[in-house]
Amino acid sequence: MAKKRKHVESSKEEPPKKDDLAPERPKRTLLGWKNGDAEMQSDALLFRNKEKVLVTCSRRITSRYRHLMLNVVSLLPHCKKDSKVESRASKGATLNELIDFRNCSCCLFFECRKQKDLYLWMTRSPDGPSVKFLVNAVHTMEELKLTGNHLKGSRPILTFSSNFDKEPRWMLIKEMIMQIFGTPKGHRKAKPFHDHVFVFSIVDNHIWFRNYQISVPHNETDKVDRGGLDKMTLIEVGPRFCLNPIKIFGGSFGGPTLYENPYYVSPNLIRAMEKRKRAGKYVRKVKAKQRRKTHEHENPLEPDEFADLWKN
Amino acid sequence: MGVFFEEDDVRDYINDRKISSESESGSEEVPLSEPSKTAVYNREGLLEKLEDMAWPENVEWIHKLNVDYDWAEEIDVNDDLSRELAFYNQALNGTRNAFEKLQSMSIPFLRPPDFYAEMVKSDTHMLKIKSRLMSEKKKIEEAEERKKAREAKKIAKEVQAQKTKERVKRKKEEIDSVKRWRKQRQQGGFARGKDMELDFGDEDGNSFERPKKKRPGVAPGDRSGGLKGKVKNKNRAFREAKFGHGGRKGMKKQNTAETTGDLRGFNRGFNKGNKKARR
Repeated sequence: MAKKRKHVESSKEEPPKKDDLAPERPKRTLLGWKNGDAEMQSDALLFRNKEKVLVTCSRRITSRYRHLMLNVVSLLPHCKKDSKVESRASKGATLNELIDFRNCSCCLFFECRKQKDLYLWMTRSPDGPSVKFLVNAVHTMEELKLTGNHLKGSRPILTFSSNFDKEPRWMLIKEMIMQIFGTPKGHRKAKPFHDHVFVFSIVDNHIWFRNYQISVPHNETDKVDRGGLDKMTLIEVGPRFCLNPIKIFGGSFGGPTLYENPYYVSPNLIRAMEKRKRAGKYVRKVKAKQRRKTHEHENPLEPDEFADLWKN
Repeated sequence: MGVFFEEDDVRDYINDRKISSESESGSEEVPLSEPSKTAVYNREGLLEKLEDMAWPENVEWIHKLNVDYDWAEEIDVNDDLSRELAFYNQALNGTRNAFEKLQSMSIPFLRPPDFYAEMVKSDTHMLKIKSRLMSEKKKIEEAEERKKAREAKKIAKEVQAQKTKERVKRKKEEIDSVKRWRKQRQQGGFARGKDMELDFGDEDGNSFERPKKKRPGVAPGDRSGGLKGKVKNKNRAFREAKFGHGGRKGMKKQNTAETTGDLRGFNRGFNKGNKKARR
């Protein structure tokens, strides 16, 4: 009873005050209150990272490379893994369709050729660009030498070496890496803590990838103690790989070539060269034998006068 | 026919000589030391594309989480140690910078110790890693022990000499003490007293009981002829571990994720020259 009465009284008193002092209520919108400073915030908030990455591989991929792909999948909570795709000339069209079908914006395509060479396509889907890399120096996470471990789906810190900003091609690749390998903030599978760091660095015109676990002594979740940053250590988690950019295309899986690595030699050519070298060795040997034979044939030994001396 | 054949061979041979001499002259080690002239590099197109695809410029850092790190000096690619160290330093410095930024935003970013969630590597895998580390540690310890034993063997002679010396000394002392006792008794007129007992300092009193220590050799109940504690033939054991002893073989021979990562069975010397393993 008492409560009710009080309420009535207050409602009686308030109306005159409201007219004088209370500011007018902002308009309500679907997203919240429409307000001056709220608009300022929403401008920054407007951006939402909605990248989704399709990860697939070609048929006849070897186990080692498949494991690498699975490792990458486990590192990217915002990716969708799809079944293997036939790696033919028409793969671009198929893959573009697939990306569209799966609602993705980027694609990582691991293409294995001859059960030996691994190529990685990094693509943004509807209108490019796409980068083709040759992957080498692959180490998967299963290796027992890599002793670190971190949360699945925690957002990685991306560190780039400064030579990424020196040339347009590297800048483009950096932006692509940032969009593909960065986990979107507030993604439903992402965890709110940061306990691993990716390293992308250019050495010798190759991009080297490393993944480290961060271990810091700390008590609070939003602060590192004084000296905690100095005591911080990193433990490698894996995987490791090294990317050699071959070509950058304007479209996704095709289009005009924007860049071509002038130093690139395909592993096929290298193998062929080695093979030819080895084959040359054999042919040389055979030739030498033949030459010897013909030489012996042409210059027969003079009959030895003492040949039959000890026969009887 | 034969003539044709030979001519062909000769031509091949000459071709091969040419090619092999080319490949020997360095194209094998460093692929294309000179840039090819036909390569495309469309800078404007690249920059345009970059503008098209890039996120808006006012995106907050928290969405990107990127950190740049300036390398102080160029490093050699083929030097594994320095290269890895450089990567490590990059990661470490980058993380420090990022953490400072995160700290200034006062958003929780460190994982509390009681936050349990799925990890990238499974527990069984981590157990494997742990056991490997342990076995490595054990191996090192064993090697050290062996080393110590070897050194101990060297000085064993000296130790033995010292021991015999000590034994002789002790015997002498004991005899002396007996002599002293007798003298005392003589002086005391062989009176019965408390100095009747011989006083050896180090007598335990239970010298007739069996020592508690386990006897080496065969246990009383053992009828196996001393083979009980011993391991089987080492060779046999290894072969059984490798090829199996009974049971199904199929599952053991398949590759798993772990075995593909395991490179122990491969010949390391084959690719020693170029550590980058470009090809």
